[in-house]
Amino acid sequence: MTDSHPTRRTLLRYGAYGAGAAALAGTAASWDRLTGADIPGRDDGSLVVATLGPAYGPEAIRSLTEGFKKVHPDIKLRINAVQATDWSDFFAKILTQIAAGTAPDLVYVATEGVQLFAQRLGVALDDWVKRDAAELREYFADVHPSLVESMMYEGSLYQLPVEFNAADIYLNDQVLKRAGASFPAADWTRDDFTALLRDMKKSSGSQFTPYFWTNRLWGGVVPWLFANGTNLLAESKAPGGKWLWDGFYPAAERGGRGGGFRWTTPQATDARVEETYDYLASLIQEDLCTRPEGGNGQNLIGVFSTGRVGVTPAGGFWAGGLNLAGMKPDSFDVQYFPRWRTQRMQFGAAGYALLRTSKKQDEAWEFIKFAARRDTLMRLFETNQTTPARRSMLTADRYKKTGPNHWQVFYDTLDKFPDTGPIPAPPQVAEVEQVLLKHTGTALSSRRSVGPALRRMQSDLEKAMERDV
Amino acid sequence: MTNTEIPTVRPSRPAAAPATGPARPSARDRGTRWLATLFLAPTIVGIVVFTVVPIVGSIVLSLFHWNVIDSPNWAGAANYREVFTDSTVLVSFRNTLVFMVLAVALQLLIALVLALAVNGRMPVWLRSVFRSAFFFPLVLSAASISVVMKYLFNQDFGVVNWALGLIGIAPVPWLTSENSAMAAVILVYVWQQFGFSFLLFVGGLNNIPKEIHEAASLDGATGLRKHLNVTLPLLSPTLLVATVVGVINALQVFEQPYVLTNGGPGDSTRTVVMVIYESAFEQLRFGEASAVGVLLFVLIMAVTALQFRLSRRFVHYQ
Repeated sequence: MTDSHPTRRTLLRYGAYGAGAAALAGTAASWDRLTGADIPGRDDGSLVVATLGPAYGPEAIRSLTEGFKKVHPDIKLRINAVQATDWSDFFAKILTQIAAGTAPDLVYVATEGVQLFAQRLGVALDDWVKRDAAELREYFADVHPSLVESMMYEGSLYQLPVEFNAADIYLNDQVLKRAGASFPAADWTRDDFTALLRDMKKSSGSQFTPYFWTNRLWGGVVPWLFANGTNLLAESKAPGGKWLWDGFYPAAERGGRGGGFRWTTPQATDARVEETYDYLASLIQEDLCTRPEGGNGQNLIGVFSTGRVGVTPAGGFWAGGLNLAGMKPDSFDVQYFPRWRTQRMQFGAAGYALLRTSKKQDEAWEFIKFAARRDTLMRLFETNQTTPARRSMLTADRYKKTGPNHWQVFYDTLDKFPDTGPIPAPPQVAEVEQVLLKHTGTALSSRRSVGPALRRMQSDLEKAMERDV
Repeated sequence: MTNTEIPTVRPSRPAAAPATGPARPSARDRGTRWLATLFLAPTIVGIVVFTVVPIVGSIVLSLFHWNVIDSPNWAGAANYREVFTDSTVLVSFRNTLVFMVLAVALQLLIALVLALAVNGRMPVWLRSVFRSAFFFPLVLSAASISVVMKYLFNQDFGVVNWALGLIGIAPVPWLTSENSAMAAVILVYVWQQFGFSFLLFVGGLNNIPKEIHEAASLDGATGLRKHLNVTLPLLSPTLLVATVVGVINALQVFEQPYVLTNGGPGDSTRTVVMVIYESAFEQLRFGEASAVGVLLFVLIMAVTALQFRLSRRFVHYQ
């Protein structure tokens, strides 16, 4: 046994420890929260722009930095290329930087995150756009209003789109020839599409899959929902935005425009949604298409270029990808997504969002304008790794080296189908996407699974949409 | 066991302290204590900063709603109530436990069998080759391995199904069926992880005195019986370490299911750490993510404590 009575010395010692700890805690509590920006040397006064790493290689970053320096030698620029597998992963990493107190001034944001950033983090560009209207008139004249509208939230513009990708259908020429099929017409239907897949299957071996698709928000089930005249969430337009349409677009292009899209009530149990899933389940059952595979379709280029896949939905970004994979310009081609009840197609666009936390907002606006300039985009998008938002950049010369022959399809998806719209991406997009991916996987395991899985999807979507982000 | 008692610590003062009160430590003792504190300080600071503070931080954060962007709001037990009623979270705990049991059992079994095989008669160079080969996957990035495995296990274009096709087996939907996705994730995980247990077992087997095996042989024990009655009991302390480490790692599995299946199809391969990541960094629900983290911490502590308790019955120290 030890003596349980503390001595005076012990009491004094522990008292001193306690007082020291209390003093430390008090001091810590009285300080502002320490962040990553407090690390000496971390903040060098540069305008920091976060971009999606894989989309912007070292060459593109050098081009952006040097080009901007020539125009604005007084603004120090730092491009932070964040490596991420997809937009969802990219946003997660940006939010981590914000949590760490090292938020960039500008973030490259795609449709998937436009409303999330606009609602919580972004600054509306309206005042700057109005101020520099004369300078921007040429830009808006070159960019389709649907792309601009997809960057609006509740009446305000948050980004200037610099690129977009619509889900068109890529076809492998070698597979088409093998099946004895001709290139489909622009107004081909869902039944034409199914018949083509059957022909392709008949003429190819067991290691061949006619239709490959990736389970994700862009280019997964959504284009089929659009084609069938429905959507995952009820879609409407926010009021406002008249100042923009009246100021920059002719009357013919202003009709029906508003202040950005609103995606609200989930409608996963809608009869047309169920019909769409039934159709995809039937394709899987017939071995005409892959089962929904999550991810970003990294292995798709390989299997398409080697003729193990016949058709797949992709955007202009694939022209450059297939060229890099060794495909010749005339060995593949692109056509619009097939018609079902409608031929409405889906797209995703991207541009730079200005963060509220930025202390260099005027400098950031200068970068936004610089990044949307034609000469900047010409340098950035040399390899056809995406579809430029500027119509004038899509020329025969641009696609001569990479293909496809029907390159006009990329921009005509907007010009000839004015109801083509953005993928549904409300501020709760992360959870919506996760619910969609999860239940799509289950729904398509068999045709009997469709109904129960969609009911669970509806319930989860309702919960997700009720949440405040 | 020997009868020799080895004193571990030399008492610095007589066992029976004078009744007048504790003796003051000598200047030398005080110097030794300061020196010990000095040497221990970096480790203690590291543990406090990188382990204790995050644990306490997570517990505190689990009592708040926080989306990173706005200030945290007090939530009390709301996050825990939410977690306990969220079917995705509950399924993820079930998946993680199933994963843990199957992955650890398979990992230990493969590692033990291979360690016994490598420990048998073979040229030294060949033994070195096997040891390196079995350990090599462990030094690779789990994410990179998973990306490669995703290609291999692809239902339509993967090498695995191509090879199965050569012997007349129909393509298996490894990663796209609720029935086989978990099996594929476990296979990939075990392939990478068993090297650690293997190395522990090789070390443990080398520490078993040859005389004991020789004595068992003289008593007529052979083959499997010798391994069951002699090798395994003597290897039990190593087995305990391998199990404890394996269980802790398995309960925190993330990279393999995240890359291979993204938790799907449905929720069939969604694990607890995946839910934490998704809640925090994709859905900005840091409070709920922390609550799940705290529950996982409690689960790991409980399972580890249970293992040590059971070890009193099953682990034999020489």
